[in-house]
Amino acid sequence: MRISKNIPTLLSALLATAVLSFGITQVAHASKWDAKMSPEEVEATLDQKFAEGSYSSKGADSCLMCHKKSEKVMDLFKGVHGAIDSSKSPMAGLQCEACHGPMGKHNRGGNEPMITFGKGSTLAADKQNSVCLSCHQDDKRMSWNGGHHDNADVACASCHSVHTAKDPVLSKNTEMEVCTSCHTKQKADMNKRSSHPLKWAQMVCSDCHNPHGSTTDADLNKASVNDTCYSCHAEKRGPKLWEHAPVTENCVTCHNPHGSVNDGMLKTRAPQLCQQCHASDGHASRAYLGNTGMGSQVNDNAFTGGRSCLNCHSQIHGSNHPSGKLFQR
Amino acid sequence: MKFKLNLITLALLAPASLAMAADGYDLANANTEKVKFSAWSCKGCVSETGVSGTIGAGVGYNDSDDIRSANAFAAEDDFAGKVDADLSYRGENGYRASIEADNLGMENGRVDINAGKLGQYNINLNYRQIHTYKTDSAMSPYLGAGSGNLTLPANWQTAGGSSEMPMLYDSLSPLELSLKRKRAGLGLEYQGEELWSTYVTYMREEKTGLKTASGSFFNQSMMLAEPVDYTTDTIEAGIKLKGDNWFTALNYNGSFFKNDIQTLRFDNAFNPTFGAQRAGYMSLDPDNESHTVTLSGQFAQKGAVVSGRLFAGQMTQDEAFITSGYGYQLPQESLDGKVDILGMNLKAVKRATRNLRISGSYDYYDRDNQTQIQEWTQISINNVSGRVAYNTPYDNTSHKAKLAMDYRIANGMKLDAGYDYRRDERSYQDREITDENSVWARFSLNSFEHWNMWIKGSYGKRDGSEYEASEWTSSESNKLLRKYNLADRKRTQVEARVTHSPIDTLTLDFGARYALDDYNNTVIGLTESKDLSYDASISYLLTDDLSLSAFYNHQTIDSDQAGSSNFSTVTWTGTVEDKVDVIGAGLAYDNLLEKKLRLGLDYTYSDSDSSTQVRQGITGDYGDYYAKVHNVNLYAQYQATEKMALRLDYKMEKYEDNDAGNDIAPDGIWNLVSFGDNSHDYTAHLIMLSVNYRL
Repeated sequence: MRISKNIPTLLSALLATAVLSFGITQVAHASKWDAKMSPEEVEATLDQKFAEGSYSSKGADSCLMCHKKSEKVMDLFKGVHGAIDSSKSPMAGLQCEACHGPMGKHNRGGNEPMITFGKGSTLAADKQNSVCLSCHQDDKRMSWNGGHHDNADVACASCHSVHTAKDPVLSKNTEMEVCTSCHTKQKADMNKRSSHPLKWAQMVCSDCHNPHGSTTDADLNKASVNDTCYSCHAEKRGPKLWEHAPVTENCVTCHNPHGSVNDGMLKTRAPQLCQQCHASDGHASRAYLGNTGMGSQVNDNAFTGGRSCLNCHSQIHGSNHPSGKLFQR
Repeated sequence: MKFKLNLITLALLAPASLAMAADGYDLANANTEKVKFSAWSCKGCVSETGVSGTIGAGVGYNDSDDIRSANAFAAEDDFAGKVDADLSYRGENGYRASIEADNLGMENGRVDINAGKLGQYNINLNYRQIHTYKTDSAMSPYLGAGSGNLTLPANWQTAGGSSEMPMLYDSLSPLELSLKRKRAGLGLEYQGEELWSTYVTYMREEKTGLKTASGSFFNQSMMLAEPVDYTTDTIEAGIKLKGDNWFTALNYNGSFFKNDIQTLRFDNAFNPTFGAQRAGYMSLDPDNESHTVTLSGQFAQKGAVVSGRLFAGQMTQDEAFITSGYGYQLPQESLDGKVDILGMNLKAVKRATRNLRISGSYDYYDRDNQTQIQEWTQISINNVSGRVAYNTPYDNTSHKAKLAMDYRIANGMKLDAGYDYRRDERSYQDREITDENSVWARFSLNSFEHWNMWIKGSYGKRDGSEYEASEWTSSESNKLLRKYNLADRKRTQVEARVTHSPIDTLTLDFGARYALDDYNNTVIGLTESKDLSYDASISYLLTDDLSLSAFYNHQTIDSDQAGSSNFSTVTWTGTVEDKVDVIGAGLAYDNLLEKKLRLGLDYTYSDSDSSTQVRQGITGDYGDYYAKVHNVNLYAQYQATEKMALRLDYKMEKYEDNDAGNDIAPDGIWNLVSFGDNSHDYTAHLIMLSVNYRL
């Protein structure tokens, strides 16, 4: 999927759905210079212009001479990137040209390329992103380079927009739609019998994952799977006297946090799940056949009926009872 | 109009060399020698002050006979009300404030309030609820639900089997199993004029409700409503420093968990057996604390980025042990449990040429459980009573090393490939060391007009030190058992995706993935797992006002396992097939009735199904286990005046699930007092009328 093209389409559809009053229209046309220049030529020209540094004579005023008629352009001033009363905004620096690069001869008919972002841009995603990352570097974005979204050529502007009062992707109500437009497996997961409450946006992807990348597998917000889980399930943290080894090491050994056809987001139900690791002599090793048509039923005994193994081993996440070795107390 | 020059600009004013732009357009490398900022007055820049945004309120009627529908509708009662707001204030000199409220007043309400000065400071207040509902008809004879003491009625008569308990049916009353989280937070952020910024956040979450537990005596068990009354306080604070091509951050995270109810006492509904116990005491999750300090940083130069993180943490727990009903000498009054966490991440990314980038990383994570090992006598709740056992505080350490490259073969054609290595070291487990080596590659092609596609494949092999099946288990384990998280494994994964946009307004998307986990040296345990899924979607903008979208997902997960009833070689095998189908469609029709009306329809259907078969001579199955849910949301939004919009929502949920193993009466299994059959079959409706006013 060419993410950089699809997300803005989706976002604009969502915007139209959710925020009628914003009146934003998506600019669908490629830039004027794309008709005459290949993407490679555009990039080479931009590189050269950036090196030469032929900035305009009057900053934003030079740009607005032509562009002030565009509502989309003027919407910049509604958001933080257009704030003229902030010392940290681009408007306190190179203004429009901070992001779009030196004007050069662009004002002579608009034929000379400028740095452009998002859907219409033919500029490589990493080049677009280099502009954003010059200011937006911190511990939450330090894994962007070489991360999943970077490798998939997702541009910052694929998800974010700055020419607006409020960036729609930062709203929890649109976040799920944006993420699942590419992460389709997770979209199915959250509709399964059990899942974290993502389907109704009570939770959102960024509660656990960092879309800008992280040093943890699956770009989790915390240092490990368990540390991420503990941030909401602190009662599982312990340490307890009697630990269940996979619980302390990796919650995902038994659970699928995105959802499962089984209750409790379990990968498999008991007793099968438990019997994949426990085969001591006695009841853990036996075959529990369920409905055989020969008198035995899945719901006629406590090994397969009710909570199965958990009917007795209820404290499966560990026990702090002095006599809790078998997780019964 | 007054302008402030920021640090970056000031730095730029110094003569910069004609930097090569191959790395991109980092502002730190901008050539601003010729810029005459004195002429940059920005007369055309607009700065409007005042309040803008929307505020709204809604009332709804909820028609449901099953509390489970509140997961979808966020409404427990017949009537529901909500307030929504999206307001922002812009003052002079960068002062800003905003309020975002969503469904405030409903069970999933949240609000986020910010106030501050741009580029200087921000104060944040937030509140969020997450309520989840299982059932309101769990049948239990116990009194005192919600407390730490579950008692049977005074006239209760115990029996050897649940169906012989004369008072059981007269004593049953329904319980609501639901968990409610209410989270409130406060945050402060301050940015210095130069280089540095700092923040502190505090959050308190209260989680209350009831969840299912089981209290057992030997082979007899009762389902119990475990009280949940948790309070978790979280504090985070940090300081960040940054320059043109580097930054560093120091963060602290502290989490303090408190459980108001530490013990669950429960009457024995059965005749006393081992130990002649008439009541049991279960230890609920003890209070605990966790502290973590993290130092991270990054340095970038000439197309190379090096980043790193160091963290150290400690998790502690020292709640007094239960002594009621125990009767043996305790080696210590509380655990004084302590786990040290130490970790490190290092990553370097280098763009070798415009088309080739290479990266490498190393990650280390160590969990060191420092808790003392002691002797603990096990009490008479089963036939291992009176024995002494030693606790096994688990340690584990993981090392991960990754090498990857991405190469742009041509414009729109890219190859990514990499090698991942992982080593895990564990204490007190059947296998001390596992090693996994994986290779992967991904090829993406975007160079054909209207077509985008990629394919990814990976292969991984896990092995490790000698597997000793019974080294640490309390009872001897079958020697052929290989626990699946420690076992040798060959993992193969393939995934592909194709997107086609024949015209600007139409996008078709198809993807498929297949994963095979082959536990190639496992005789007993999980032997194989296959996961196949595919999905397709279409989104079509028929006219400027009419849009249509639809998707379909299917997934099948097959798992095979084997066991031995006679504690030797395989005598039985089991197969689990999990399947899900999800269908969704959406329609939006805008600008009807003189461009004042918008109509929309969203529909999803999902069918989750699991079937289990076990074979030992004969084949048995575990009956039906499914959940089918239809969700409809139909809405109409009417712009009544320029400022005011009315919206009518109709939501419907038709839900049905089954669990054959739990399709039981409270006394359906002789040695179990259960909550009864808690499957669902309902159709619920919600109608909500809301008014939105634009300021």
